[in-house]
Amino acid sequence: MRTAFRVLMYLLAAEVLVQGMAIAYALAGMGHWVDQDGGVVDKALFDSDNPDFPGVGGFMAHGMNGTMIIPILVLLLLIVSFFAKVPGGTKTAGILVGLVVLQVFLGIFAHEVPYVIMLHVLNAFAIFSVAALTAHRMGGADRDPGGVATV
Amino acid sequence: MIRERRRLLLALTATAVVVAPLAWTWNGSRLPSTYSVMDMGYADYGGGPESMTQHDTMGRSVADLTADPSRKADVSLTLTTRKERFRLASGEGVDGYTVNGSSPGPTIRAVEGQLVEVRLVNESVPDGVTLHWHGVDVPNAEDGVAGVTQDAIRVGESHTYRFVAEQVGTYWYHSHQVSHRQVQRGLLGALVITPKHPDPMVRDEIALLHIYNGRQTVNGRQGALAPVDVPAGTRVRVRVINTDNGAASVWSSGSPYKVVAIDGYDVNAPTPLTDRVVRLTAGGRVDVEVVAPARVDLGGSGAIVIGAGAPGTRQPRQQVDLLSYGSPAALPFDPAKATRRFDYSIGRRPGFVHGRPGLWWSINGHLFPDVPMYVVEEGDVVRMTIENHSRDVHPMHLHGHHAVVLSRDGVKATGSPWWVDSLDVASGHEYEIAFLADNPGVWMDHCHNLPHASQGLVAHLMYAGITEPFRVGGQADNAPE
Repeated sequence: MRTAFRVLMYLLAAEVLVQGMAIAYALAGMGHWVDQDGGVVDKALFDSDNPDFPGVGGFMAHGMNGTMIIPILVLLLLIVSFFAKVPGGTKTAGILVGLVVLQVFLGIFAHEVPYVIMLHVLNAFAIFSVAALTAHRMGGADRDPGGVATV
Repeated sequence: MIRERRRLLLALTATAVVVAPLAWTWNGSRLPSTYSVMDMGYADYGGGPESMTQHDTMGRSVADLTADPSRKADVSLTLTTRKERFRLASGEGVDGYTVNGSSPGPTIRAVEGQLVEVRLVNESVPDGVTLHWHGVDVPNAEDGVAGVTQDAIRVGESHTYRFVAEQVGTYWYHSHQVSHRQVQRGLLGALVITPKHPDPMVRDEIALLHIYNGRQTVNGRQGALAPVDVPAGTRVRVRVINTDNGAASVWSSGSPYKVVAIDGYDVNAPTPLTDRVVRLTAGGRVDVEVVAPARVDLGGSGAIVIGAGAPGTRQPRQQVDLLSYGSPAALPFDPAKATRRFDYSIGRRPGFVHGRPGLWWSINGHLFPDVPMYVVEEGDVVRMTIENHSRDVHPMHLHGHHAVVLSRDGVKATGSPWWVDSLDVASGHEYEIAFLADNPGVWMDHCHNLPHASQGLVAHLMYAGITEPFRVGGQADNAPE
């Protein structure tokens, strides 16, 4: 369970990176399409199933990942923390659940108030840092003979 | 050991606390493979009498609500649907669906009062097809919604639609079976109903907008259209039809224009507009009138050049506010004497729809299928408040009725009666509309950003004393969204 907890933490951190890469690719693809191919982006195109520029899948991936996969991942993390006997594990997982909820809210709210996206980006770094640092520190504890990992 | 056990018990309890409500809501979101839309959600009587809603046994059946069966057709045609690779008018290949070998399908034209009879033959669309006459308030059995007003027409089958073209104006037809895919991929066409005595001085043009595979087209053509060849001074009415899932922008470069009709209904006393853009709701139509030479711009889709044309200008920043456009006129009913008042409040929240987790659209706080069923009786004057706090715009489409916009965000309408069948409700805004319940049946009231409908932004309006013989799912695999 301890290993599962650690792996899920790393997965969550990796998902934050995937989210950043997906949305950046999508925006770059759209920019290229407008700039190089003379494409026109309007509401009708935005809401069509399949606008035809490279990176468009990034928008969909970002949305699906952010509203489905990451919330499931963080809930799994919370459940695993109940069993994993990691000191402060449940507290950290709880904080991550809160940050993910905030993140989804900020992402959607930014559709209406664009500057909110800056907070969305900041919060992404927070999620990444908490998840990656927690997992990393657990590795340190494993190596430390005086650590809590001894059974 | 005891400590270990207690710890484990605590962990299991905590897990149950997290998982149990999720499992419970997940289970509640799953639908049986076959169900009647009348079993969905909960009845909302809008403060009117709570009449019994009979079930399958008594009352008039949806299937019997047809046009006069003894009357002969004035306009008669056959439309054949296929799944195939086809070429756009401008040459690009598209994998999709065609009507009589092309997409858009043939334009259906009728004169006011004529009986239109369309035989639909499904040659090769595997999911089955239907035809919905978007904006035409046809009898319920002709509305073309799979699983609600008919069964989807499977490959090799046919179905005949009959309705009297009573409403002059610009409409369109499209499949309402797996509509979020079939409409997107081309199962659609224009429908124009002209008056008995049209103005001979006005030239009539259609501009049907559709995006095929990311290609923005006008009348099935990507890029420049051939100019409309008319002498200077000719009045031209351009009927713009938005068949996509998002709003389109319409304006005129270099010369004034008038918005002469919205969703098929004439605007009373339209005034000339310059440096203003009309935002055309997904599924909606506007007829704009210009005098040649002119150019009607259609945003990312292109432009219609009339006569010698005019150089294109940037999209104007300011929108035409249809709430105050044109002059007031009498309404055929009195909204002040409403007998039912409904709320259609659109939000977004986490939960499960069809067993899938995600952030889903909610109606009055409930997720599909636990959504309101708006119940009316024939003759009711209905007021409905559509409010949106979901952070996304929703083009709301009520079948079988035209509604008049009374107010937006509490500001009363002061212009021409603004009749709609498709109304863009942006997030943070609230519209009040009113309509007369004069077309018995079971009618969809949904978002015409069709993927949103498939994500559960669908409710129904039903009349008391109507029975529903059709089922979503079932043998015909009816899937209206």
